[in-house]
Amino acid sequence: MSVAVVLPLATLACCPSLLYSQQSKPSQYQIEATYLYNFSRFVAWPQQASTAKGGAFGICVLGTDPFGPSLDTILSGENVGGRMLIARRISKAQDASGCQILFVAASEETRLGDILQALDDSSVLTVSDIPEFSKHGGMIQFVMAGDKVRFEVNLKKASDAGLTLSADLLKVAVAVRRDPQPGT
Amino acid sequence: MVRRPSNSIASKLTRMNLLVSAIALVLACSGFVAYDFVSFRLNIVRDLSMQAQLAGSNSVAALVFDDADSADRTVAAFGVSRNVLASRIYDAKGQPFATYLRDRDEKIPAMPQIAAGKDEAYRFEGGHVILAHTILFEGKRSGYILVEQDMERIVERMENYGEIAAVMLGFSLLVVVFVSRFAGRAIANPVVELADAARRVSKDKDYSVRVNSTNEEGELALLVDTFNQMLEQIQQSHQELEKRVQERTAQLVAANKELESFSYSVSHDLRAPLRSIDGFSLALEEDLGDHLTAQAKNYIQRVRAATQRMGMLIDDLLNLSRVTRAEMRKERVDLSGMAKAVASELVRADGERNVEWVIPDGMEAYGDSRLLRIVLDNLLGNAWKYTSKHDHARIEFSQERHNGGYAFYVKDDGAGFDPAYTQRLFGAFQRLHGITEFSGTGIGLATVHRIIHRHGGEVWADGAVEKGATFYFTI
Repeated sequence: MSVAVVLPLATLACCPSLLYSQQSKPSQYQIEATYLYNFSRFVAWPQQASTAKGGAFGICVLGTDPFGPSLDTILSGENVGGRMLIARRISKAQDASGCQILFVAASEETRLGDILQALDDSSVLTVSDIPEFSKHGGMIQFVMAGDKVRFEVNLKKASDAGLTLSADLLKVAVAVRRDPQPGT
Repeated sequence: MVRRPSNSIASKLTRMNLLVSAIALVLACSGFVAYDFVSFRLNIVRDLSMQAQLAGSNSVAALVFDDADSADRTVAAFGVSRNVLASRIYDAKGQPFATYLRDRDEKIPAMPQIAAGKDEAYRFEGGHVILAHTILFEGKRSGYILVEQDMERIVERMENYGEIAAVMLGFSLLVVVFVSRFAGRAIANPVVELADAARRVSKDKDYSVRVNSTNEEGELALLVDTFNQMLEQIQQSHQELEKRVQERTAQLVAANKELESFSYSVSHDLRAPLRSIDGFSLALEEDLGDHLTAQAKNYIQRVRAATQRMGMLIDDLLNLSRVTRAEMRKERVDLSGMAKAVASELVRADGERNVEWVIPDGMEAYGDSRLLRIVLDNLLGNAWKYTSKHDHARIEFSQERHNGGYAFYVKDDGAGFDPAYTQRLFGAFQRLHGITEFSGTGIGLATVHRIIHRHGGEVWADGAVEKGATFYFTI
């Protein structure tokens, strides 16, 4: 089936979309960086968490940053509900007080239990591509399905932290955990 | 009750009302349907746009998280609507992302061009509407959705309209028939009565007919009144005319009677003195025969000739007035036999002459035999008389075709007459020849003329000096 799709491509070219990176074949990390930004649109934070730290909306990377400059590129000039999006790199979980979204890099896999415990009381959306991240109390875990980046959601954990995940987001998640996992 | 033929004014009015109503209804229905078609089509587009927007916004998460399966499930929801043929979601780059097809062999149509500054476009194609809508995420274009829907709903609607319109048309026309039956009578009845009255007037000559005038005002009432007035006038003038004709006829009859009795008595009373003159002239001649000089004898003979001529004149005058007064008794008359009888009488009177008679058998006419005998006496007698100066003569009585019937004629080769005087031939006392040349009183042809006219025929003549004459007559 050949379909002639007539689209105003010129309009697209002049305003580069941030949903995907500009390259024709984005890497796994570029896609994950985009998703981090996208999560900001589908998650609602509790009131006090969103007003903290001078109004900026922080997307933080804990550990060794796998994204390089792509995260900064994606976030530059964007805002959520009038709050500027900024990318921050932190080395300790305790520094995450100004973060709304925290990406736990693979380098932190061994300290994962401590990190998650440290964040227990804060309204931070925790995201990682560490295997079994959501099982161990992480909120969103990237998983690879073929060459596509998908994600699992631990809804129980997010709700406990006062976060509201939109139904649309849950719809596209490959798995949604609603009950506390045995053995955690 | 007035008669009502199928082409009467009442049924014409009904038919006209039907036609006008039908045209008005059809036009009105067409207008409504056309308006509804356009507005319903727009409604369908608006409806489809809403569905597309809904499906689009439900696909935003799938688009931004590259989850084609989720988008497939979203567009598959179009399966609920039996009118949606196909739907497809494209990503921001215009690549197909998720597709729904009602039937497997359905084709995805080309996407309508979305104008700059707009986020939607649609077009109608082959009875389908194809609509494209931009999927926005946070004010950014994150994809497109295309939906194709058939127009079955509009076809159904139009069919329903057609049925309703047909029923309404039938019902309305039925109502129109009833209404115009009653309403039409107000116009039709006076006209029908007028026509009826006019027919009676023209057929029965009954001018006393009057049409009942209607209570309403207007052209019809005016027409009826005028018609009645005209009849009134005709009736009056008719009566007046009749009265005048009767008066004139009475006067004429009286005058004619007077004239006839006058001429009869004059002719009759003139005979007595004539007889005296002739008788005493004869006595003179016989008694004084030897004493009279030759000159005196000549005078007496001339007196006697003149009185005898005057006697003949009086006889002819009496004949003429008898011809005018005599009653006609019409019957089949054998003209051939009658002519032969006249001819043989003429020959008996003067057998010395050499005359060839040509009278074919079988000529007949319908008329009064006594009067027709006078006609033949005169015409054949004239022919006999005016050929007397010739050594040899030929006289023919025959008939020929004339104006679809027959004209009889008497033809001779005698003295003839000057055609310039043809008009004077049939007047009384008109003579074209001197008395010394041919004897006669000049009343014969006038008598013929009168008899033929009384039979409703015509008489005319043809001739030239010394070339003979032909007298024609029709009956």
